[in-house]
Amino acid sequence: MTKVKICGLKEEQHVKAAERADAIGFVFAPSKRQVTIEQATELAKHIPVDTDKIGVFVNASLEQIEDAIARVPLTMVQLHGDEPDELVGAIQVPVIQAFSIRTKEDADQLKKSIADYVLVDAPGTDYRGGSGKVFDWSLLDGADIDPSRLIVAGGLKPENVHAAIMQTTPYMVDVSSGVETDGRKDTAKIQEFIKQVKDDSMEQTIEKVGFFGKYGGQFVPETLMKAVKELEDAYNEVKEDPEFQKEYHHYLSEYVGREQPLTFAQRMTESLGGPKIYLKREDLNHTGAHKVNNAIGQALLAMRMGKRKIVAETGAGQHGVATATICALFDLECVIFMGEEDIKRQQLNVFRMKLLGARVESVTKGSATLKDAVNEALRYWVSNVEDTHYLIGSALGPHPFPTMVRDFQSVIGEETKRQILEKEGRLPDAILACVGGGSNAIGMFYPFIKDKDVQLIGVEAAGQGVDTDRHAATLTKGTEGVLHGAMMKLLQDDAGQVQEAHSISAGLDYPGIGPEHAYLADIGRVEYRSITDKEALDAVISMSRLEGIIPALESAHAIAEAEKQAKTMTADQILVICVSGRGDKDMATYAEKLEGLS
Amino acid sequence: MKRLEQLKNSGNKAFVAYIMAGDGGLDRLKEQVQYLQGAGVTAIEIGIPFSDPVADGPTIEAAGNRALKHGVTLQKVLEEMKSWTFQVEIPLLVMTYLNPVLKFGVERFASECSKAGVSAVIIPDLPYEHKELVQPHIDKEGIKLIQLVTLTTTDVRLADILSGAEGFVYAVTVKGITGSRDEMSEDVKAFMRKVREKSPVPVYAGFGISKSSHVDMLRDDVDGFIVGSAIVEAFNDNRIQEIEPLISAVTATHSV
Ligand SMILES: Cc1ncc(COP(=O)(O)O)c(C=O)c1O
Repeated sequence: MTKVKICGLKEEQHVKAAERADAIGFVFAPSKRQVTIEQATELAKHIPVDTDKIGVFVNASLEQIEDAIARVPLTMVQLHGDEPDELVGAIQVPVIQAFSIRTKEDADQLKKSIADYVLVDAPGTDYRGGSGKVFDWSLLDGADIDPSRLIVAGGLKPENVHAAIMQTTPYMVDVSSGVETDGRKDTAKIQEFIKQVKDDSMEQTIEKVGFFGKYGGQFVPETLMKAVKELEDAYNEVKEDPEFQKEYHHYLSEYVGREQPLTFAQRMTESLGGPKIYLKREDLNHTGAHKVNNAIGQALLAMRMGKRKIVAETGAGQHGVATATICALFDLECVIFMGEEDIKRQQLNVFRMKLLGARVESVTKGSATLKDAVNEALRYWVSNVEDTHYLIGSALGPHPFPTMVRDFQSVIGEETKRQILEKEGRLPDAILACVGGGSNAIGMFYPFIKDKDVQLIGVEAAGQGVDTDRHAATLTKGTEGVLHGAMMKLLQDDAGQVQEAHSISAGLDYPGIGPEHAYLADIGRVEYRSITDKEALDAVISMSRLEGIIPALESAHAIAEAEKQAKTMTADQILVICVSGRGDKDMATYAEKLEGLS
Repeated sequence: MKRLEQLKNSGNKAFVAYIMAGDGGLDRLKEQVQYLQGAGVTAIEIGIPFSDPVADGPTIEAAGNRALKHGVTLQKVLEEMKSWTFQVEIPLLVMTYLNPVLKFGVERFASECSKAGVSAVIIPDLPYEHKELVQPHIDKEGIKLIQLVTLTTTDVRLADILSGAEGFVYAVTVKGITGSRDEMSEDVKAFMRKVREKSPVPVYAGFGISKSSHVDMLRDDVDGFIVGSAIVEAFNDNRIQEIEPLISAVTATHSV
């Protein structure tokens, strides 16, 4: 999330207006915005404790700077003069070094700075320390600056800050004249600027409180609030913890077998006669699908929280198997709720879970599928919340689950991005993934969200057709509502009763959709289409015979849509399909539905 | 709802009965309300059936499914209540999950509840953090939003929730879902005392209250009891008279 600095404040009312900012700047150098150390000290009393207080200096001495740090007190220092590296190195708080950018060569200078952060600004005309002119952000392209060190300033205002963030993805944006009227700070503009950054849709800053636009939230019974909040805190902690990340990636590589190839599908490419087609091979993961990426992440987190009992729901059994597997690995107690219908459809996975030592509870209520399994898992969690972690299997549920599951699945998209750049030197034109609750899709899409030229397509299950009442096409046909702890899109009737979904694929048989997908659909960043049972089965055959890969039924939905999509594309284009899982678990269905295949 | 305050001040305990609207058909609702009113309950919570009632145990879920089979909806329940001509002398509450309210429209929900004579609503999956979704609309109609607190509610949250509490506070006695239980854990008493000490409004214990031993155990630490599954079950089995002793065990004046 991009941070906001409001700079050059002189009046208490403006400091207060900047309450939601992440940093406040006081200018100690000669300027019309100059303040004395005494004034800054007074103003600093009105700044929230976790907001950075940054002093701006031009060629001041170390003594002057240290004096200001101690008295205001300042938490950071920003240097706009020709300060030597010895001075920069001697300052004990983090330092921002400012550079005026006119040319590409100027941009190259940035990399040489030893400061913690570099601030880029348009060349000053009237005085040092920023002119309020906009510099050409594209000068930063290719300068290879670590965005986590980058602060962008120079002519920013509420109207253009969104574009600046999109283009430069900086650590922080810095504004001064852009929130002034006639040379004086303007309360309304300060607030509007902060709002523009904080509510910037593509930045998804809103996830801070668990919302993606209007979707998400924590709509759970009070009994669960404590657990959900604790999970939120625990997750925020491990997200930034290199040790945790190391452990997680250790298991991904040593146990799951990552990274998975991005296989060029030569015969499929030739047969469709369109773009080059690549397959992201989640089917090669241990346990046969992407689900295990998330199961490992959450199990490690649960153990950090001191919880050694796991409850999970499963649809296809894929998440149940992944969870049971990880619980065996880490010696955790494991209960899996599974709809009676799904137990029938996925016998082998039921046996796998049992073999792995998990207890499988059959759910006979409602439609006896995934939705009802989630209900039972939630109830179980409500009753056993003190020592049990709910290891949800998709990007669903109350915050922080959708964010957390996305992050644990983002390894799919991150690898894909690296691999396609290695193989093709550029990003793909289109990426497709199937959408049940949405975890493999969001994990694949998330690292590409800001790459606007990459078309992202999510594929839902149309079952027997979206115009029948037997489908699971939530985004195509659903409406807003609250289910399983989140505001999302739902298949529901006029009275707000959630309807049963239908798909030949147990993993897509869910009447809701993860909140982030609902949001991405609303803003048009991801397009959602749907594929019928029959089309998916046909794709199973074609993929098996062209590439020697028997896909899971869920994944076959993405493949079927990719076949259609490829017909609209040209040979110089690239298309990536997320093959979320392998077809082993669906062999009984294939044998039955494809009987007489020759 | 003023009456609940007066009852508390008089030292008598409240008995709030929960029923599932439309269990056995919507036409039964009226007779059930009349019956309970006659039996001396303090208030009635009318449950709206929902397809995914994650806060409820098997008894209430099953009742909800029966009601759904009868085609019962939020709208039909409110219409039914509006049509009543008998004298309703006790507060009527609506307990519903959030989704049917959102689908109905929150503003419309508030005004229709008002027309139906509803004094308060309980929405178990609307936590304190998100209450703004509903609160402003029902405020306009003078309807109260009842807050729940549970054994897992942290002290900080408890203070926040209680500071905005209105009507009464629904204190959940178990770590779990609704449903009858044999045991009440000891820490429940301490919890009830803590809530009651801090609450500006009466504190009622609910979830799992099904027998007079529960009532005896908690009597001194709460202002009333909410009984759900036991009543739902009794109505379904046509043996509601068996609940009467529980009602009088609660509401009878006790000399301390
Ligand atoms: C192989 C496979 N792909 C996709 C899914 C759908 O889930 P999601 O949308 O969370 O990726 C499942 C669910 O069980 C699955 O097993």
